[in-house]
Amino acid sequence: MGDITKVPQWILNLGGMEFTLNSETLIMSWIVMGIIILFAVAATRRISFLPGSYQTIAEVMVSAFQGLVNDALDEGNRHYFPLIMTIFMFVWLSNMLGVIPFLSEPTKDLNTPLAYGLLGFFISHYAGIKTKGFKAYASEYFQPMFFMMPLNVIGELSKVVSISFRLFGNIMGGSIIIMVVGHLVYSLVLPPLLNAFFGLFVGTIQAFVFTMLTLVYISVQTK
Amino acid sequence: MAYPDQIWIQAASFAGAAFSVGFGAIGAALGEGYAAGNASEAMGRNPEKSGDILKNMLIGQAVAESAGIFALVISMLLIFFEGHGEPLVTAFAFLGAGLSMGLSAIGSGMGGGFPAAEACQGIADNPETQGMLTTNMLIGSAVCQTPAIFGMVVAFLLMFMDFSKIPLEPGWAALLGGGFAVGLGAIGSGVGSGIPAGSATRGMARQPAAATTIRTNMLIGSAVSQTPAIFGMVVAFLLIFLDWSDKPAAPYWAMLLGAGLSTGLSAIGPGIGNGLTAGEAAEGIARVPETSGPVTTTMLIGQTVAQSTVIYGFLVSLILLFIEREASTTMVAWAIPLSAGLCMGFGGIGPGVGEGIAAAYTVRRIARDQELNVLLTRVMLVGQAVSESTGIYSLIVSLLLLFVI
Repeated sequence: MGDITKVPQWILNLGGMEFTLNSETLIMSWIVMGIIILFAVAATRRISFLPGSYQTIAEVMVSAFQGLVNDALDEGNRHYFPLIMTIFMFVWLSNMLGVIPFLSEPTKDLNTPLAYGLLGFFISHYAGIKTKGFKAYASEYFQPMFFMMPLNVIGELSKVVSISFRLFGNIMGGSIIIMVVGHLVYSLVLPPLLNAFFGLFVGTIQAFVFTMLTLVYISVQTK
Repeated sequence: MAYPDQIWIQAASFAGAAFSVGFGAIGAALGEGYAAGNASEAMGRNPEKSGDILKNMLIGQAVAESAGIFALVISMLLIFFEGHGEPLVTAFAFLGAGLSMGLSAIGSGMGGGFPAAEACQGIADNPETQGMLTTNMLIGSAVCQTPAIFGMVVAFLLMFMDFSKIPLEPGWAALLGGGFAVGLGAIGSGVGSGIPAGSATRGMARQPAAATTIRTNMLIGSAVSQTPAIFGMVVAFLLIFLDWSDKPAAPYWAMLLGAGLSTGLSAIGPGIGNGLTAGEAAEGIARVPETSGPVTTTMLIGQTVAQSTVIYGFLVSLILLFIEREASTTMVAWAIPLSAGLCMGFGGIGPGVGEGIAAAYTVRRIARDQELNVLLTRVMLVGQAVSESTGIYSLIVSLLLLFVI
C-alpha cells in the first residue's frame, strides 16, 4: 500500500526556474477534456429536429441545467450558463474516470479542485462588481458595521477552501478506501460495489454539489 | 520499563485505531437512529407510502454513515501499519490521526441524520415531492460530510508524512495538537451544516414551487456553518508544517497543544450556532418564499457575528504559535499557555451557540413579518453583543495569562 503517497511528477527546468507538473493529473485531465470535446462534436455535428443519440443526451443535460441557472441567476447574468455546464461536465467526468481500470480521477489531486474553486471565486466576484458596480460591491464588506470587514473577508476566503477540499477529500478518500479494501480482500467481490458507491454515486453527488455551489456563489454576488 | 521505540509506535497505532472508530461511530449511529425513528413516525402517518419511505431512509442512512466508514478506513490503515524504523514521534502522529478522524466524524454523522429524517417526514407529508426530497437530502448530507473530510485529510497527512526531520520535543505536541484542532473543530460544523439541510428538505415538501430558493439558502447556510471547521484545519496545517526544531521543548509543547485546543474547542459553538440560524432561515423561506432576500441577509449577518468566538480562538492560537518564549522547565511556564488555550477554547463554546440561537429566532420572526427587518436585526446585534461578552472575558483572561503574568 506504499503507493498511496506517491505522486508521479515531471520536473521541467526552464531558464533556471523549476516547474513541477503532476504528470498523472495532467494526462487524466487531458483525457477528460478529450472526451468532452469528442462528445460536443458528436452531439452538434448533425443537429436535426429528430435528435440522434448524442444530441438527445446533450439536450437533456442542457435543459436540466438551464432550468437551474434560470432559477438562480437574474436575466442579465444568464450568460454564465456555459461555464456552469462545463464545470459540471468536467468535474463529473473526472470523478467517473476512476471507475475505469488504469485511469485515475484528476480531482484526486487537490490542485484540480482548488483551480476550479479559485475560478468560481474570481468569476463570482467579477460578476458582482460588474452587476452592482465597484462601490456597491465594496460597501457590502462593511455591512452591517464597518468593523465586520475582516470577518466578511475571511468568510469569502473560506468559501474557496470549503468548496475545493470537499471535492478533493471525497474523491481521494473514496479512492483510498477502494485501494485499502481491495488490498485486504485480494480484489475479490467488494471492489466493484465500492466503485459503484464511491465512483458513480458519491462522484455524481459531489460534482453536482460543486456546480451548485459555484452557481450559488455567483448568484449571491449578483443579487 | 524501557521498551524499544517500535513497540511504542505499534501501541500508538492500535490506540489511534481505537480512537478513530470509537469516536467516529458515535455520530453516525445517532444520525442513523434519528433517521430511522423519524421514518417510523412518517410511516405511521402515511402507511401507504411505507415502501418509498423505507427506501429513502436506507439511502439517507448510507450517506450519513460515510463519516463512520471514513473512520473505519483510518482504523484499518492504522491496525495494518508495518513499521520500518520510524522515529518515536510517529507514535504521536498516529494518536493525532486517530483523534482527528474520530472526533471529526462525530458531527458529520449526526448532521447527516437530519436531512435523512426530514426527507422521510416530507415524503409522508407530500408524496408527490419524493424525487425532489431525495435529491435534496443527498446534496444536503453530502455537504455535511465535509468536516469529516477535513479530519480525514489531516489524518492521512499525519499517517503518511515523513517525520524523520521532526524532533520528538516539542514535535509530539504539534502533531497531537493538530489532531485535536481539526477533530474538535469539525464537531460543531458537522452538526451545524446538517440542521439547514434537514429544514430545507422538510420545507420543500411544504412549498415545492420554491425549491430552488430553499436549496440556494441551504447551500449558503451550510457552507457558512463550515467556516469554524476550516479554522481548525488551518491551525492543524500550521502545527504540522511549521518547523519547531529549534524551539526548546518546554514550554513550547504546552503552547502548541494549547494552540490546537483553543481553536478546536472554540469552533464547536459557532458551528452549531450557525447551523441553528441557517436552519430557521431555510424553514422561514419555505413558509414565506417572498421573504428570501431579507431572511438570507439577516442570516448571513447573524452567522458572521456568531462566528466571532472562533476567531478569538484562532487569534489565541496564532499568538501561542508565534510568540517567543525562553526555555523553562518550571511548572508555571507550561501551565500558563495550556490554560490560556483551554480558557479561550471552552469560553468560545457557549457564546457561539447563544448568538446562533439569537440569530435563529430573529430570522424566524423576519420570515413571518419582513416589515420588522431593520428593528429586529438591530435587536439581534445588541443581544448578540451581550451574549458575546462571556467570550470576550475568556479572551481577556487568555491574553492576561499570556502577556501579563
